[in-house]
Amino acid sequence: MQRVTLAVALTAILAALTPSTAHATPSFARQTGVSCQGCHTVFPELTPFGRKFKLNAYVFTNVKQLEPINEQGQRTLALSDLPPLSLQLQASNTTLNRSLPDNGVPKDLSQKNSTEFPQALSLFYTGKIADQLGAFLQLTWEPSGDSIGIDNSDLRFANHASFDSIGLSDFIYGLTLNNNPTSQDVWNSTPAWGYPFILTNAGVPPVAQALLDGQLAQVSAGLGAYVYLFDHLYVEVSGYRSAQTSFTNATTGGPGPLDSTAPGARISSAAAPYWRLAWEQVWGDHSLEVGTYGIWAPTHPPGIGEKGPTNTFTDAALDAQYQYITDDHIFSLTGTWIHEDRKFDNVTLATHRHNTLDTERLTASYFFRRWIGGSVQGFSTTGSRDQVMYATGTPILGSGRGRPDTQGAVVELDFLPWLNTKLGVQYTIYSKFNGGTRNYDGFGRSASDNNTVFVYVWTAF
Amino acid sequence: MRTHALAAIGVFLALGATMAQAADNNAALDLIRKECSTCHGPRGISVAPTFPNLAGQQAGYLEVQLRAFRDHSRADPHAQAFMWGMAAQLTDAIIKDMATYFAAQPPAPGTSAGSAEVAAGKKIYTDGIPGQSIAACQSCHGPNAAGNGPFPRLAGQHRRYLEKQLEVFASNLRANELMHATAQTLTALQISQLAAFLSAQ
Repeated sequence: MQRVTLAVALTAILAALTPSTAHATPSFARQTGVSCQGCHTVFPELTPFGRKFKLNAYVFTNVKQLEPINEQGQRTLALSDLPPLSLQLQASNTTLNRSLPDNGVPKDLSQKNSTEFPQALSLFYTGKIADQLGAFLQLTWEPSGDSIGIDNSDLRFANHASFDSIGLSDFIYGLTLNNNPTSQDVWNSTPAWGYPFILTNAGVPPVAQALLDGQLAQVSAGLGAYVYLFDHLYVEVSGYRSAQTSFTNATTGGPGPLDSTAPGARISSAAAPYWRLAWEQVWGDHSLEVGTYGIWAPTHPPGIGEKGPTNTFTDAALDAQYQYITDDHIFSLTGTWIHEDRKFDNVTLATHRHNTLDTERLTASYFFRRWIGGSVQGFSTTGSRDQVMYATGTPILGSGRGRPDTQGAVVELDFLPWLNTKLGVQYTIYSKFNGGTRNYDGFGRSASDNNTVFVYVWTAF
Repeated sequence: MRTHALAAIGVFLALGATMAQAADNNAALDLIRKECSTCHGPRGISVAPTFPNLAGQQAGYLEVQLRAFRDHSRADPHAQAFMWGMAAQLTDAIIKDMATYFAAQPPAPGTSAGSAEVAAGKKIYTDGIPGQSIAACQSCHGPNAAGNGPFPRLAGQHRRYLEKQLEVFASNLRANELMHATAQTLTALQISQLAAFLSAQ
């Protein structure tokens, strides 16, 4: 029986492994002729110029263009001479403070170390598609899951306009079609491009995570419209739905509608509205952003069709980012607070119809000449107790007390021999994990057992 | 009815043609709006001192620099990192239009600096330093530091940008015989004083 439990736990751990996220692309450097440092402090964090480049739909180019015109003299195409392709390789070694149980017998044979070469290998197409249309498309192969799939992707249209008559000078407006809420964002204080920029996938993921904090990544599709006004104010409204996730229609054999029997599938009955409002102030070498973002998402739990009761997640978040950027010294401070309100009409998944979850992260980082530096982050997730949701009865992954609280810190040192290559050592320390310090899972595991040393190489070319 | 439709189509096509025409004429302005302004500000007054103010700059100087970025003859680290790419596809006509636009914008007002260093900088600027064989800067850059043709306006420029340029002239990362000779004999203090004076104008 215990063996079955362990097998279930292992399977669950494998299934729960969060995909590593990834970012900066040399294709952009090739397309623009501008070095990485134009758009990034240290990749993937963006500079003010990098933010504009993204808001302008990645179209700025200095590559020779293929630009045929029609008989009316209009340009019908604007393709770069060479496709903006690049590759990214992440290789890593993860050491857990205490090994996870082994599937075999005896159970103590498992090791603490997991070496992954690669942890992830990505192919990017990032750049201009046409005059006002650009793409950030990423395919990632992760050997751990033996899967190749779409990673963060953003198809974007942007243009400029002005209404001088009402005092509105030149501003940017655009549309984005993407597969991860906040991946379209240009600040690094929101989840998709927030710190830690790279994570182990061999560690132990906490039991609770806000919906906007990565749960919709790559399994949703969102269409949004945005404006960037007065060179200060960013306003965006988007709508997200779950994206079709490779299920076949049993009747026709074609692509099926969203299949509610799929494990983990989340179906928004309508488009879940996502909002983003941010103010950016730049002075001298400094920039400061203060903003809010959030989503209101009615979802259907697995096994519940579109007519069934919904569980509604309302995430309201605040974020801020400060950057000081010079050639020699780069300092950034990012913070976010996500308050999640969960209202469960379908009560099979929770004890309480109403739960809350609060996630806070505060990160400081410093780099000397984009060459050597590091980051420190404090993180905290706290929330209301719920036996059904958190006391899953699974060793390691569950919470014996039915609590979601996880707190700790990340300390990281980085070395960049070249602007496109990062060597890092990241240490994650948990003071509390799934609601406890000692025996948090009810099977004897301590929060500190999940402390992780993660050593990685991350390069893109 | 049919004439109405034809007239409507005619108007539509004419509008389209006008827009296409307008777009061509404004290639430089379009680039300034979408690209240059990102770092240099919409009217050539930048926020970050890494990027120089261009407003009121001499058109002749701007043209020479943009061509030098394009043919890589200006090769200081920032030129390579940012401007080589930016200028790669610029035509002579666009360069000329850009230079004309920025030259016509009102220059940035000076920023304040300590009165002692400003006075010291002013003395170097106006009289040169005979003991170090440094000629008066104003002989080329003009009595008000407004520049002249290929000699750039220095008045109101960001202090740190000015310091950086004197440093890269001194190290020859930015190749310019005349400025190299001048800058390499300047001390760090003198560079700082000069930049303080000029940025305050």
